[in-house]
Amino acid sequence: MSFSTFVTDKAGLQKLYEAIISKHETYAPVEKFGKYDYKKVSSLKECDPDSPIAMTMSVKPLFFPRSSKIMKYESNSAGTSVSETEDDHLAVPRVILGVKHCDARGLQVLEAVNKWDYIDSDFQKRRANTVIFSTRCDKADTHCFCTSLDYDVENLDATDVALVNGIGGKLYIQARTEKGENFLKENLEKQSAVGSQQSAMDDIKKQYEAFAASFRLKMDYKDVNEKMSKRFNSPAFEEASRNCVSCNTCAFICPTCHCFKISDVKIKDTGVRYKSYDSCNNVYFTLEAGGHNPRPAKYRRWRQRSMHKFVFYKERFGVNLCVGCGHCAISCPVNISIFDVVNHVASTPVVL
Amino acid sequence: MEALLVPSLAKVDRIIQETPDVRTYRLKFKDEALMEKFTWEPGQFVEFSLLGSGECTFCISSSATRKGYFDCSIKKAGVVTADIHLNIEEGDEVGIRGPYGNWFPVEEIKGRNLLFVGGGIGLAPLRSLIQYCIDHRTDYKDFTILYGARTSADLCYKEEIEEWKKNTSIKVVLTIDKAEDNWKENVGVVPKILEEVVKPEIANTKVITCGPPIMIKYTLQSLDRLGFSPEHVITTLEMKMQCGLGKCGRCNIGSTYICKDGPVFTYAQLKALPDEF
Repeated sequence: MSFSTFVTDKAGLQKLYEAIISKHETYAPVEKFGKYDYKKVSSLKECDPDSPIAMTMSVKPLFFPRSSKIMKYESNSAGTSVSETEDDHLAVPRVILGVKHCDARGLQVLEAVNKWDYIDSDFQKRRANTVIFSTRCDKADTHCFCTSLDYDVENLDATDVALVNGIGGKLYIQARTEKGENFLKENLEKQSAVGSQQSAMDDIKKQYEAFAASFRLKMDYKDVNEKMSKRFNSPAFEEASRNCVSCNTCAFICPTCHCFKISDVKIKDTGVRYKSYDSCNNVYFTLEAGGHNPRPAKYRRWRQRSMHKFVFYKERFGVNLCVGCGHCAISCPVNISIFDVVNHVASTPVVL
Repeated sequence: MEALLVPSLAKVDRIIQETPDVRTYRLKFKDEALMEKFTWEPGQFVEFSLLGSGECTFCISSSATRKGYFDCSIKKAGVVTADIHLNIEEGDEVGIRGPYGNWFPVEEIKGRNLLFVGGGIGLAPLRSLIQYCIDHRTDYKDFTILYGARTSADLCYKEEIEEWKKNTSIKVVLTIDKAEDNWKENVGVVPKILEEVVKPEIANTKVITCGPPIMIKYTLQSLDRLGFSPEHVITTLEMKMQCGLGKCGRCNIGSTYICKDGPVFTYAQLKALPDEF
């Protein structure tokens, strides 16, 4: 199925956004203390779909919440009862505006682990009920390296509708999935389809080339995959992780990190069981009851983190567990960048 | 996902004090239809919750061929297991999810001699397979159980071991680390007894082993010396797990998820994994 591309300008896009917000449950980046997080909005004034990439949190929590209730239970002398918790407010039909391309790819990457064997139906349902509008950046930020990681200008179904700036104030609205196509047909008032699909694609490619040229960080991920897979025993992990304070921020803000823990909170007879974010950088992550910990040292946890992203997940699911958004490096209190770590390890001698 | 993580309630039917710090909890689902339907293969595990305290991973230590109940043998080791020992009484209710994971290759080992090598609480997963094989005795050939513990008090399933001893088709070899008064069986660590007393036949034999890491380490070396090839040595891994569904990332070693691809592995498979367990 081929999808439509529409052309508009800034004013036209604003109108489209306003129409969407008035008709649908809409989430968009909302500023607070200089950072943007995705919140439910009721007017365009509250939010900024063009929020800068470096200042915008991942959209992941709208699909995989930071903490969610698994169940409630009650236990007293009369016995025990378990009740599943309330309706999933994230699974209702909704639109998310201003999602960054790299972030949208994060959701695509996560689908692999959520779909193998046991299916995370909540994640799938939330994604199926959501129309994602993504905006493609015009310029790379300091820590960005998304173009190095399977960023494909033509085939990108990570998002439902992609917005791309063309040359001379032109703005392209591209449907990327059937869902996006249908949504646009219903919501674009004056359908100003592009005159020629080809010239629009050419224009988009030009924009991409200018965008790709603005990157400070570039790498050949296939080379890194290959080299990392032979350097499990490299002492470089120790060097690379020395400054880490194990705060786990990198994992919590990562669009692809998906480790979680299960914990109980009980007050008197009533309790709630939660599923919340966890990280392999956490010293307690693999600590066993008897006291044995297979990853007692920081470098081992960092090795797991970087190898999982660039070797293990790739081996298992065919895709890197990193989208090059650079948020871990931006947020790290000691300036560790996954880009630097994997490239550094890959450049060291093989240790068997 | 959240729905997959909700446990079903089960009643603690019986508690058996196996050793000073190990108890076997005999469980029955509250929902009789569920108990009827519930089945598992030897070596699989469940997520056991003491509501309010937390959830832990335990193998099912009985076989599905013994119907109407399932056992979890729990050693007091950490926060939740200490709570379990302290707070759970017969008649109490606990949460159970499962069964999860792979299992011992019961089909593949048919027609073979079986050598079980267990240490301490490591006999728990083996017991599920031992019961299964006893209940399908004609499918398997010679049957040897080598079981050791630090002291005679630390031997689990004492009553059941007596039954196994009475069964003439099973050879049972017991050992403890240091000599004790009134102890008539072997004295010495498991790998030593394996090499010096059991002296197993290598041809057509599958070894199934589980125990503390140190015992496993030396047992594998002994088996190597005896001439067993790593493909014929089967073990089950203990690893911190939480979801049991291959999602939470805790048991990820290399590209393997121990909770899904394991916990049962051959020694040959383990050798190919990064040394992180």
